[in-house]
Amino acid sequence: MAGGRELTVITYRGIFQEVEEARGMYSDGYRDQSAVVALDGRDMKEMGVEAGEPVRLATASGDVVVAAKLSEEDHPGVAFMPASPWSAQLLSGDVGEDGFLELKRFAARASPGEGEVTTIGEIEAGIKAP
Amino acid sequence: MGLCTGCSLLCDDIVVELDGDKIGKTMNLCRKGHAHYNSLGSERLTPSVGGSQVGIEDAARAAGELLAGAENPLLFGWEGSTLEAQRAGVDLAKKLGSAIDGPSSYSQGMIAEKILAGEIPTCTFDDVRNFADVSIYWGDDPSSSHPRHMSRFSYFPRGEKRQKGYEEDREAIVIDVRKSPTAQIAADGFFKISPGGDGAFIEALTAALAGKIPKVEDKKRMLNLATKLRKAKFGAIFTGLGLAHSLRGDLSGFTALVGKLNELARFSVIPSLGDYNTRGFNQTLFDETGHVDAVSFKDGVSYGRKFGIARFLDSCDAVMVVGSDPAAVLPAALARKLAKVPMVAVGSHRTITSGLARVSVPTAVAGLEAGGAGLRTDGVKVEFDRLVGSVHLSDADVIRRIMEEV
Amino acid sequence: MISAMEVYQLLPKTNCKRCGLPTCMAFAVGLLGREKKIEDCTPLLEEAKYEKKLAGLRELLAPILSADATETGMVIHPEKCYGCGNCVVACPVNVANDPKGTAIGRGPVSGKAILMVEDGVVKCVHVDECRRFGPEKVLCNACIATCPSKAIEFI
Repeated sequence: MAGGRELTVITYRGIFQEVEEARGMYSDGYRDQSAVVALDGRDMKEMGVEAGEPVRLATASGDVVVAAKLSEEDHPGVAFMPASPWSAQLLSGDVGEDGFLELKRFAARASPGEGEVTTIGEIEAGIKAP
Repeated sequence: MGLCTGCSLLCDDIVVELDGDKIGKTMNLCRKGHAHYNSLGSERLTPSVGGSQVGIEDAARAAGELLAGAENPLLFGWEGSTLEAQRAGVDLAKKLGSAIDGPSSYSQGMIAEKILAGEIPTCTFDDVRNFADVSIYWGDDPSSSHPRHMSRFSYFPRGEKRQKGYEEDREAIVIDVRKSPTAQIAADGFFKISPGGDGAFIEALTAALAGKIPKVEDKKRMLNLATKLRKAKFGAIFTGLGLAHSLRGDLSGFTALVGKLNELARFSVIPSLGDYNTRGFNQTLFDETGHVDAVSFKDGVSYGRKFGIARFLDSCDAVMVVGSDPAAVLPAALARKLAKVPMVAVGSHRTITSGLARVSVPTAVAGLEAGGAGLRTDGVKVEFDRLVGSVHLSDADVIRRIMEEV
Repeated sequence: MISAMEVYQLLPKTNCKRCGLPTCMAFAVGLLGREKKIEDCTPLLEEAKYEKKLAGLRELLAPILSADATETGMVIHPEKCYGCGNCVVACPVNVANDPKGTAIGRGPVSGKAILMVEDGVVKCVHVDECRRFGPEKVLCNACIATCPSKAIEFI
């Protein structure tokens, strides 16, 4: 897709996400903690996205819609996303020449997202698709 | 006293009030551990074959048959399994001539392997508590992942040579790409690096330690850090996924830096490994093969990235996933490959991965419903008993049952 | 931390003295120190034009007036707490009272710890032992400075 803002996305793990994971990955709580991206304030402004609004993240590997979150820190051009089935949709499955599988950092295009945040059911269906 | 298998700190001072087999009030569990204790009643895995509910015996038999009929099976996971189940898993891999691997092959396996091989010095958390005056958290946010890390061992507690409290006695340095909750605590000790900037930081710090001018923006701050480390009596470096991924498996610079630091004082590395018994799996496989993951027993013992799940899925015709959820973590393209391989899922809870499995075999939750042992992330062995009754077999019993069917 | 100025903005600002204090600013300070109650400002309660201010003031001061606020003004926000126990182990009173438990990083064993973690969240017991308690209070901030998630504050 054309347009969108080129961002370096870095995945991390937060405690509240793990708490929700223990309660069950199919819960709304797990989605609320996982399907989010923390963005720099200026990046949000230039994209025209407010906190809580949907953002579409896309890479050559896939795309998801997650909720925008305003970062307390400034980090223009960089976004932070919980490691989860949502971020996994954006990762490349190619191991590099050194045989290393990158799971922490990737480039993605971010744009204001239409519609709803991607559900775990949609992700599962994508994995199971023939 | 209960023990918590919620993360690899294996906290053993948990006080639990039980109401029959129900968990009541708990003391000393962190929030993550509390959620782990309270996961007993939610999303449990049930025995099934081809989508139909069956008894555990039928599920174990189907699992054994599925594996026995394969040419190139892979046994994956094991980091959330007891030492006993891991041992049985290695035996099963040998019996099948299969590959065996765990999530460490795409996380901190290479750091763990160098530690087990003695190429990177290490120590125990008890040493850290008693002696460490400098704690470095590198690409590591234990406040989130191992919540009691700083309070039990690495920063706040009093110890033999650390009687005065953290403000006078200890120094916390955090190197990370974001101001994580751990960095929040370290305040002035936080060094923010750019994404992928760990290698440059290693270079700059190595230069500063050698008395050279480091090639960084804030030269003074880097030189001050070097001075601080030079004065350290006992340093500990805690590594996280951030460091491992940034270096992409090339640990030469990091190993050299740790070597340089050890010319000045004792500096030890303890990786903050994820699941409660990651270290146990790494050690069990290392003792058998000299490697911590990505091993094949097809023709004797072979090791290589091609036996790690990311590449092995291309040639694999059956997979058993034990106590792990790779489909939730792996890039979607690999998760789709995994979905096409006939699969056995062994574990306590329903996961994205178990949803792809042809055969599901449930287990008890170790430390709560079944006893066993594990290795804390610093390598110290911790044994535990069961706390409540359960209809489920222990993970070790499940693996042994499956092995009987092979 | 709520400032007196924030409270003042929600008062009538008439300096009518009906609360017994010379100025509305003094009353704001009195509210924060819990020496005065919102009800002591009778115009705020009686005059309809202050309805919005009154609602705002009640919302602002809710944490102070709630049962969660201990007598030292400590407020724990359980929804933010990680249960990491940093505050439990760093608390100088815990260290002194519980040398074989919290002082060395473990759960409390002496029964005299003032902070402990219950059901995954920190809890303040024996508040009278806190260094911020009583007339001889010391402005200790060990439990705040060691928190990874700003789950503790004093108001």
